[in-house]
Amino acid sequence: MQRQDSLQGSLPLLVLKILARRGPLHGYGITAQIEAISEDILRVEEGSLYPALHRMEEAGWIKAKWVTTENKRRARVYEVTAAGRKQLEEEETRWRAVSAAVAHVLQRC
Amino acid sequence: MSWLSRLANAFRSDRLDRDLDEELRFHIEARTDELVARGLAPEEAARDARRHFGNRLLLRESSREAKLFSWLESVIQDTRFGLRMLRKNAGASVAAVLSLALAIGACTAAFSLIDALILRPLPVQDPGTLVYCSYVAPDSPTNENTYVRQALFERFGRASQGKLELFGTSFPGNLQTISFGDSGVQEENARVQLISGDGFRILGIHPALGRLLTAADDGRKVAVLNYSFWSSHFGSNPDVLGRWFHFWGADFQVVGVAAKGFDNLSPGYRMDVWFPRMNSTGSEDPSQGWDQVWGRLQPGVAPEQARQILQAAFTNYRRDHTDEFIRSGGPPDQLPKYTAARLNLKPGSSGSASMVRMEFERPLWILAVVVALVLFIACSNVANLLLARAAAREREMAMRISIGAGRARLMQQLLVESGLLAGGACILGLAIASAAAPSIVNLLSPSGYPAYLDLRIDWRILAFVGLAGIATTVLFGLAPALRASAVSPHEALKAGARVSGNMGLLRLLLASQVSFSFVVLFIGGLLLLSFYKVTSVNLGFSKDRVALFQIGMNDSAKNDRAYLIATQLLGVVRRIPGVEAVSLSQQGLIGGNFAWIERPAVRFPGREPESLKPRYLQVAAGFFDAMQIRFLGGRDFTARDMAPGSSAVVVNEEFVRRYLSNAIPIGQRFEKTGDDPHPVSQEIVGVVQDAKFNNLRESNSPTVYAPWRYPGGTLEVRTAGDPLTIAPVIRQVIDHFNPETVRAGSAILQSEQINNTLLRERLLALLAGFFAIVAIVLAAIGLYGVLSYSVVRRTKEIGIRVALGARQLGVVRLVISDVILVIAIGLGIGIAGGFALGRFVASLLFEVTPSDFWSLALPLACFLLASALAALPPAFRAARVDPIVALREE
Repeated sequence: MQRQDSLQGSLPLLVLKILARRGPLHGYGITAQIEAISEDILRVEEGSLYPALHRMEEAGWIKAKWVTTENKRRARVYEVTAAGRKQLEEEETRWRAVSAAVAHVLQRC
Repeated sequence: MSWLSRLANAFRSDRLDRDLDEELRFHIEARTDELVARGLAPEEAARDARRHFGNRLLLRESSREAKLFSWLESVIQDTRFGLRMLRKNAGASVAAVLSLALAIGACTAAFSLIDALILRPLPVQDPGTLVYCSYVAPDSPTNENTYVRQALFERFGRASQGKLELFGTSFPGNLQTISFGDSGVQEENARVQLISGDGFRILGIHPALGRLLTAADDGRKVAVLNYSFWSSHFGSNPDVLGRWFHFWGADFQVVGVAAKGFDNLSPGYRMDVWFPRMNSTGSEDPSQGWDQVWGRLQPGVAPEQARQILQAAFTNYRRDHTDEFIRSGGPPDQLPKYTAARLNLKPGSSGSASMVRMEFERPLWILAVVVALVLFIACSNVANLLLARAAAREREMAMRISIGAGRARLMQQLLVESGLLAGGACILGLAIASAAAPSIVNLLSPSGYPAYLDLRIDWRILAFVGLAGIATTVLFGLAPALRASAVSPHEALKAGARVSGNMGLLRLLLASQVSFSFVVLFIGGLLLLSFYKVTSVNLGFSKDRVALFQIGMNDSAKNDRAYLIATQLLGVVRRIPGVEAVSLSQQGLIGGNFAWIERPAVRFPGREPESLKPRYLQVAAGFFDAMQIRFLGGRDFTARDMAPGSSAVVVNEEFVRRYLSNAIPIGQRFEKTGDDPHPVSQEIVGVVQDAKFNNLRESNSPTVYAPWRYPGGTLEVRTAGDPLTIAPVIRQVIDHFNPETVRAGSAILQSEQINNTLLRERLLALLAGFFAIVAIVLAAIGLYGVLSYSVVRRTKEIGIRVALGARQLGVVRLVISDVILVIAIGLGIGIAGGFALGRFVASLLFEVTPSDFWSLALPLACFLLASALAALPPAFRAARVDPIVALREE
């Protein structure tokens, strides 16, 4: 039932990072940014993105508001909060540590 | 987001759904725009964007899960679906609800009785600080005494000033006739109670009408009515204030009605009228006193502190009044024990122990255990049913999981279904309980002495039912729910996959069912056997066609010529057509535990006084004839014996066996020393067979029958036909015989009188027997269900075996062997449990012990018979499996 997507676990980290860098973005914008920056290597499943966004909203890492875009469409944009920035720092540190360790192992084998 | 706002979200879910849809729509449109910009055709771009999105519904579901309590919503959905599923299996659902309702109803009835009789706090102010005094008599350490003489009561009052406020009450008496005579005679049967004038104030009871008694009322002829009595007998008419009624040879005026709900201080009876003590003849009069003394602890006073204060007064009083002990026949060597006796202050928050409570507390707890076991059995039956149904619905579950239902959600849905069953059963059970509990109160009321319990359905009962409902839901619903939600869609959806094979849970349920039902059967069997033994006891007299009349006699007639009036009375009654024999005695036979029996010392010429004291009963001539007690030798009293001065007595077999080693005793003399310290010489003129006197449980004891010379006591009439048809005539004749001296009181059949002493035995036998039947039927249904299910599951296997040459007997053995070990284990546990509980029941049994052969053999035989009957149909079905049909089903 649940297809594993490669971003599981690291999705909140990426979302937080992008929102912290680029400022407020809507869901589609976040997907597009992740795909663009990763040069299409990382694909975000919408099925994972929105639940993740709502969970993060509930955890207080990001906040959302409705805005009207230039072509008169209502969009919900997300913005990182102070708690989110702190969380981002922690997750980034952890991610770096883990990926360095994995890289280390891969090299030694 | 706070819990509260989540809850709010559940109700605003439409708007949130729209928000979510809008957000997702934006996403799809944005992607479509981009794809179009990259050069795709607009329709293809839209399709691609949507496909990319995947299962939009699942997405919405899990997004919302994170946000809000869609739970409430889903419960409503599940309820609808659950109702539909239950309707689909209407027969099984009705059976499940009915068996559960019966069990829950029985538990609730038991709880409401126990609550009303034992647990519920009195409806008085701050019941927690209410206490009552009790002490133990030196000669019978198990017997609690509460009587306090007026002189001691006054000492208590002085000693405990400021720490404890005291008041006294009398015991509930029999129903008495009180007559309101001021506006035409209105006679009412009422239970009256004396109470210190202060009592109502100390209890904190308010008047519903008029005023209550005060300390100033002591000695005045005023009365307060019970609220229910007022509304049932006076239609809640306020005119009752100021009315006079006649009672105990005096006139009383009604001054008020007590607050609604205040019925008594000893649950079991309802007091209808309270009044203060009429006249005080001085505190040194030993007949003045209170049956019960109650105290209200003042703020900051610990019970033990109050107890020590009263203890000091109690000990001092006894030291000053050792003569009371000696006068009442206490052995002098017991005197130190008497003065050192401990005074107890018992918590009175739920009232003191009435006769009803003392008699029925243990039986009610036993019944509670029995019905709780029945509830367990009913629960496991329903669980069996649901498990079988869950197996049948395995594909449905698998389907739902594979299209994306959450497992928790599936479990929830199954639990809601169970909850619906339990909820229905609770409502029905409440109805059963409110019908059953009052009829149980009737069962435990002796005729003419009605017990009363306040069985209103209040929040305590509702809370109990609610808890029972939740507990049963969890009990029978959780296992099937866990199991169904653990379905593996991959396995279950395979074409032709057989229904999953986990029989472990079914076996566990079956074993517990077997053991519980055996315990219930065992206890029920013990109580039924005991009831059978006690009712088939050899009375020694004949109880049929005998009516007993209580005869009231004017005390002034108690003179030397009274015997002549008695003889005349007997002659008059004897001449009534239809009367076969008539006699009088001081007390009727089998008066129950209230009977007072004189036990004087006897001494035979040339011997020491006997250590065993005989019963000394007084009966008029013709008594043995009327009661059909057989003479073994000698003769009955003659008219001459009835005159004072005769020394003739009749003794029973046991008397001869104990004192005279079976030697023919006619003409034998002995000395009797009783209340009168001077020995009285007695001559044995006859010997009769042994007969029960006080109750059916007593063993034969040496008995002396002496002449009863007064026109009072109990009049026994043996009639040719049904005594009730001529009882009114007899009563009229007695009333017209000599109205100044003799009054006929209530009539009761001898057989009814005996039944009154067997209320507890009958109640227990009836209810325990009934629940034993319920338990065995439920267990048989359970066994039938498990076996049927296992046959269905193994049809293919059986088919193969038959095709390979297995015989029918072998097939049956195969099916039965599946459960035989389970039953054996269940039975083993059941027998152990039965013995454990049997010890608790043993004190209520008559000539039966749990370790008797029949105690075990009877329930075992019943159980095996029932299981055999339950196993037959599935076994037949297994034996008749046609291999061709079974294998073609593939």
